[in-house]
Amino acid sequence: MRFIIKHASCGGERVGNLTGFAKMKTAVIETPTAALLTQGGSVVHLTVDVLSKVFTSPHLLWVPLSNSARLEIGVKAQGEGIAKFAGLQGHVTCATLHNASEMTPPGHFEANFVPMWTKNGKKMITADRYMDIMEIYTPDILLAIADSHITLNEGQKRISKSVERSRVLLDTCVNRYVNSKRLQDCALIGVITGTGINEKCDHCIKHLLTHKEHLNGVALSGMTDGSEESLKIEKDKLETIFKSISESIPSELVKFIEGCWTPDIIMTAIQYGWDVFDGSYPSKLTNAGQALALNFDVDKNCDELCLLDLNDVRYKEDFRPILEGCECHTCKKHTRAYIQHLLNTREMLSTVLLSIHNLHHFDQMFVHARRHIASSTFDVYKLHIVKQYERYKQQVPIESDSEKDKDTVQTAKKICVSNDVLENVSIFK
Amino acid sequence: MGSKSQALLFHIQAECKTTRSRAGLIKLPHYSVKTPVFMPVGTQGTMKGLLPEQLEELGCEIILGNTYHLGNRPGTEVLEKIGGLHKFMSWNRALLTDSGGFQMVSLLKLAEITEEGVKFRSPYDDTEIMLTPEKSIEIQNCIGADIIMQLDDVVQTTFQDYDRIKEATERTSRWLDRCLKAHKRPSEQSIFPIVQGLLNKELREKSARDHMTKNVNGFAIGGLSGGESKDQFWPMVSLSTGILDKHRPRYLMGVGLAIDLVVCVALGVDMFDCVFPTRTARFGCALTNKGQLNLKQKKYETDLNPIDNECTCSTCKNYTRAYLHCIVTVETVACHLISVHNIAYQMRLMKTMRENIEKGTFPQFVKTFVNELYSDGNVPSWVLESLNSVGINIR
Repeated sequence: MRFIIKHASCGGERVGNLTGFAKMKTAVIETPTAALLTQGGSVVHLTVDVLSKVFTSPHLLWVPLSNSARLEIGVKAQGEGIAKFAGLQGHVTCATLHNASEMTPPGHFEANFVPMWTKNGKKMITADRYMDIMEIYTPDILLAIADSHITLNEGQKRISKSVERSRVLLDTCVNRYVNSKRLQDCALIGVITGTGINEKCDHCIKHLLTHKEHLNGVALSGMTDGSEESLKIEKDKLETIFKSISESIPSELVKFIEGCWTPDIIMTAIQYGWDVFDGSYPSKLTNAGQALALNFDVDKNCDELCLLDLNDVRYKEDFRPILEGCECHTCKKHTRAYIQHLLNTREMLSTVLLSIHNLHHFDQMFVHARRHIASSTFDVYKLHIVKQYERYKQQVPIESDSEKDKDTVQTAKKICVSNDVLENVSIFK
Repeated sequence: MGSKSQALLFHIQAECKTTRSRAGLIKLPHYSVKTPVFMPVGTQGTMKGLLPEQLEELGCEIILGNTYHLGNRPGTEVLEKIGGLHKFMSWNRALLTDSGGFQMVSLLKLAEITEEGVKFRSPYDDTEIMLTPEKSIEIQNCIGADIIMQLDDVVQTTFQDYDRIKEATERTSRWLDRCLKAHKRPSEQSIFPIVQGLLNKELREKSARDHMTKNVNGFAIGGLSGGESKDQFWPMVSLSTGILDKHRPRYLMGVGLAIDLVVCVALGVDMFDCVFPTRTARFGCALTNKGQLNLKQKKYETDLNPIDNECTCSTCKNYTRAYLHCIVTVETVACHLISVHNIAYQMRLMKTMRENIEKGTFPQFVKTFVNELYSDGNVPSWVLESLNSVGINIR
């Protein structure tokens, strides 16, 4: 994989291309971009057939091992990698250990073992085992295994452990990577952790850069454990982190950010030169029955809410599309009233229609961002998006996040104990 | 006796010289439907996670909606405002709705049936509701399907009390008259009467003969596929199709297993519906001519074949059994993928039957089909007997 910077402003924001993928020679992924989150190898809720109605060009797929581990035997039998096995060979894959936006129980580390939380419960995994699976998956891009699923507010001891463990894990990954024939076309990405303490984070980055010749990029982690609470970070603090870490990374490396960040925060990250985001945000909205409806025209003053909660009975007789003028399949064919009905009756088509819209619209947010960066008007665009999102936050009282988090952890613990695959899949009840 | 209103025109395009099967075209206000046809069931105005566009691509020409569910949610007010279910769900082809009676009796333990209608407590707000023939038609008029069903007096198929069956059969005829009288949109929607009588020959014959005297565009055969044995089932179908005139379409309710479809087409049925192909998909069951594959089984773990090599659906083009094995009953995508295949299977089976009827090769097709399905030679006796009754000798 090659990363080519096409335009970089003095502020830091930049547009670039990811190209030269061995399996998809013609594929070009323009950055800044967001990947599409997969679950069990498929883009969440969408078959290949439906995905092709949303995107006609190759996209970056985010493939957490934690939700796709059961594919290993099949991928191995076929021998052509995870994308082909999941029917998504027209796209580019980026594999990682966890979905950073999913909450997992804390702790459970053992010497050399990292806990991987799957639907079947906890599986302990070493860096070697991780790389064994990666040799089978042969993704186009591979995030090193790390102990980075922690918040900025963790204690010093936890953060030190995180950095130390991740250092050892990375060394193994690099060693395996360098000696692997099957992974020679794969791009390796080092994971930054310890973000909560400057000094620890510096250590982490310094160590990462000792492997610089083998790395195509870095991924910023160690900021969230997936909880809503951990995502609430003061603007200034975030800006400092995005800025200072970005500046300490050589510009030729592509910069990833893991986590379920909202559009306003994504804009800030882009401003400081971060290139690739995981796709957990639109997928979280979809699962909550929400639709993103940002206005991208900077000349327009927009009073409408930029997020619709389609569970709301107020949409029962609203025969407009989610977003007037949106070019996605859902908005061209279906109404808010129909989606409200599907949510109300717990029909699976609700998440399909919402995924189509949210993925399209989220992708458009990046398309517009790239356009504005190229024409040096990104600051105007950023302000336009941030304003809309802040207005939404002011108008809609957000329910207690800590309560929500408690539920999530409870569920995760239950899964861990019961080992029951079906327990968490309500549609089959 | 031809079709009386423009809401439905039925043309028979080819008839089998051996069996009672025929290939035809039902012209409906929203679409012309080729028969024999299988109609997938989209209970609440959606087909188990599939886009209307995908259903079109799969070749579905008519699908079902359930009056009971749609009347509750989104409700007639919403449907009226947007101009019917077609617009609400963005489906431009034909629709058929049931009367709502079946759901009342099967879902609601407290339903009480009187001459007036079906009285029950709403599971949504616990109020007492009376579903009369007039009310059923009023809701169906509002939903706006091309074909609508009369409210019938539903009795469990295996029920044995003669008096009750007789009452239900006769009441169904009386309710038909009330339905026809209450029908507000006869130029856009056709009411089908439902032949009742359960497993009783005389009652079923009388029901069919009663309905034949009515000014209707087609007939439904009800009260079957409810737990009775196949030996009891097929003679009732045969009896009904033998009486119902051949110039109007015949719809056998609730039947969708491949072998049942083949036998009943041979017996002269034109239309079928069943939740089975999409319901079984949710449990990881895929349909093929050799029987069903339960993709959860470990033997598919490394099976790199598609579900069916001969199938051209998007699932078979893009996915292996091994991949589906990994995600069935875990990811929603697996439901969608197997539903796509199973609907494609049903559509392909009906299309193959149609083509064979047109070519005059239907009996040969039936023999090949039966022998492939029961490749061990153990063809069930009811299949042999029913096919024999229309001139196909499998052995």
